[in-house]
Amino acid sequence: MRFIARYLKDKKDYFELVTVYEDEIQKEKISKEKPFVKTISYKYPSAIWFERKMQDDFGIKIIDGFDTRELLHHERFPHSIHPMLKDFTKKEINHSEFKPYKYETIDGDSVFQVSVGPIHAGIIEPGHFHFSQAGERMLHLEVRHFYKHRAIEKMLEGKTLDEAKPIIKRISGNETIAYQIALIDIYLQAMGEELPIKLQKQHAFLLELERVIHHLTDVGFIPNDAGFGSALAFASKLAEDARRMMQKITNHRFGFGSIGFESLDFDLDEIKFFLDTLQKEIEFFEDWIIDIPSLWDRFDTTGRLDIKKAIKYSCVGVVARASGASVDRRMNPFYIDNGFEMASQISGDVGARFKVRIKEIKNSLLMMRNFLNNKSVKIDSKPLKDGEYISYVESSLGEIFMAIDVKDGLIERFFVRDPSFINWQALHIMMREDIIADFPLINKSCDLSYAGCDL
Amino acid sequence: MIRYWTKRFSNDILTENIELEDELKEIQKEIKSHINKKFAGSLAIRMVDSGSCNACEAECNALSNPYYDLERFGIYFVASPRHADVMLLSGLMTFNMQPHVLDAYEQLPNPKWVISMGDCPLMKAPFEKTYAITAPAKQHLPIAHHINGCPPTPLEIIKGILEFLRKFASNS
Repeated sequence: MRFIARYLKDKKDYFELVTVYEDEIQKEKISKEKPFVKTISYKYPSAIWFERKMQDDFGIKIIDGFDTRELLHHERFPHSIHPMLKDFTKKEINHSEFKPYKYETIDGDSVFQVSVGPIHAGIIEPGHFHFSQAGERMLHLEVRHFYKHRAIEKMLEGKTLDEAKPIIKRISGNETIAYQIALIDIYLQAMGEELPIKLQKQHAFLLELERVIHHLTDVGFIPNDAGFGSALAFASKLAEDARRMMQKITNHRFGFGSIGFESLDFDLDEIKFFLDTLQKEIEFFEDWIIDIPSLWDRFDTTGRLDIKKAIKYSCVGVVARASGASVDRRMNPFYIDNGFEMASQISGDVGARFKVRIKEIKNSLLMMRNFLNNKSVKIDSKPLKDGEYISYVESSLGEIFMAIDVKDGLIERFFVRDPSFINWQALHIMMREDIIADFPLINKSCDLSYAGCDL
Repeated sequence: MIRYWTKRFSNDILTENIELEDELKEIQKEIKSHINKKFAGSLAIRMVDSGSCNACEAECNALSNPYYDLERFGIYFVASPRHADVMLLSGLMTFNMQPHVLDAYEQLPNPKWVISMGDCPLMKAPFEKTYAITAPAKQHLPIAHHINGCPPTPLEIIKGILEFLRKFASNS
C-alpha cells in the first residue's frame, strides 16, 4: 500500500488525523488534552516530514518518531507558536532568540561537514544541503528546506474557492497547470458536475505542454551539469519554443489562469506544425546525445535509487518511474485511449531519469495530437456543496495530492502535497556511492521543486 | 558531433532583439564614466530568491537561451554575492529566508544596488500577508529599481536592466 500523505485538521474540540494511502484514507480522532500521534515512519520513512510538520503547525507530540526536530520552524522562529491552530490569527511575528539546529551528521576520524545553501551558486531556489564527507565521498546528506515557507495552507483558510484560485496557481510556477487542474477537479466535485470531454482534452493538452516544457529544460540542464553545454543550448531553444506556444494559447508564458470552465482558442494548424517540428528536433536530440560516451560515463550508475528503496520511500513521478516503480496518475482509460504509455527504466540512476524524460516528451507529443481540438465549450458555474474533497493530478514532477474541506462555502482546511515533498526525502539515499561533485548532477536529474515542497 | 555542427550551421543565429544592442551602446556612451568607475565595464548580477513560485527563476534561466543570450550585453549572473554589483531579488521575503537575504546583501561589495523583480517583492501578487511573509522588500533593503510582471518575461527583464542603467545617465 503506497503511502501518500498525512495531515492534521483542527476541529475545535479535537484534532482529526488523516492518513492517505493509495487504496484507503484513514481518519483518527486525537484529543486536544493528550495531543499525541503515533509515528508510522518506521514502515513509511517519508511520513516523518509530515509528522514533523504537524508537530510545528499544531504543537502535537510524535511518539517514537526517529526524528522529532523542528521542520518548518527555523533557528529564529518563535518556538512556542503553532500557527495552524484555528485560534492563531497573527499576521506578524518577530524573530526570537537563535536556537541552533542539530544537523544529522556522521562523525569520525577525518570525517568533515560541508554546508551548502540556502542561497546556491546558480539561479535556483533556496534550500540547504548538509554533507558528511570522507574525502570526496559522501557519507551522508541531510536535506533541509522550508526557507520558502509562505504559509499557504493558513493563507487559504476562510477564503472561497474563487479567492483561492489566484494563489493556488502560484504555488509552484513550473506546475501551475497541474495545480489548476487539481483545483478545477475539486470545483467540479463540489458542483456535482462533470467536465465535457472536449474541455477535459484541452486541459490535458496544456498539462502535457507544461510537462514538455519542464522536461525539455531538464534534458538541457542535466548534461550541462556534467559539463556538456551544447545540450543546454539546443534544449533551451526548444523549451523556449514550447513556452512561446504556451504564451500563444493561454496568453501567459506559464499558463497562469488558463484552466477554467471555458475553452481557449487553439489554432490547430499552427499547433500541429509546432508538434511536428518539435517531434523531429527531439528525435535528432536523442539520436545525438545517446551517442556521447563521455556524457554517459557520468550518467550511468550515478545517483542510483533501487526499486526497493523507491517503493519504501513512497517515491512518485520521474524518480519512481526511473527506478522501475509504476506510479503514474495518468494510468487511466482517458489517457490510455489517447496514447499514453508509461515511461519506465530499471537502473534508477541519472541516465535512467534522463531517458524517462526524453521518452515522456515523445509520448506527450503523441498524446497532444490526440487531445488537440478547438471546440468551444463552456460550463456554467453552480453553487458549491459543502464537503471534503480530494483530487490527484500527475504534474511534470509527479503526483499532486490536494484536499480541500469546504464549509459554508469557505475553505475550512486546505492541504496539498507536492510530489517533491516525498521525493526530497529519498534524495539522500541516492548519494551512497558517489562523490560530492556528482551531487548537482543527481539533484538536477530529479529536478524537484522547492516552492511546492515548502508551500 | 559532426551531425550536431551541421545542424548548428544550418540553424544560423537565433538571437533576437538585436536592436537592444544598439540601445545598450547608446546607454554605454551616455554613462561611460560611470560604467568604468562603478562596474568595470560589465554588470555582474547575483540572483536571490526570497520565496517565489520559481517562475521568476525560470525566466532568468531563459535569459541564457539562444534567443535572448544576455551575456552579449556584458551582463552576467555570478555565483557569489561577493562578485556582484547588483542583487536581483524575487519572492515574498519569507520569515525563514529574510535573515539570509540580508546576509547575502551584506556580502555585496560597495557600491551595490538591489533590483527587485516580479509582483512578490512589492507584495502585489495575489498572496495575502501571513506570519511567514515579511514583504514588501523595501522594508528591509534599499530597492534601486523594480521590474514589473508576474513573472516578467525575459525581454522585460533585459529591458528593465537597461532601464536601471539608464538611470545613471539621467543622474549624471
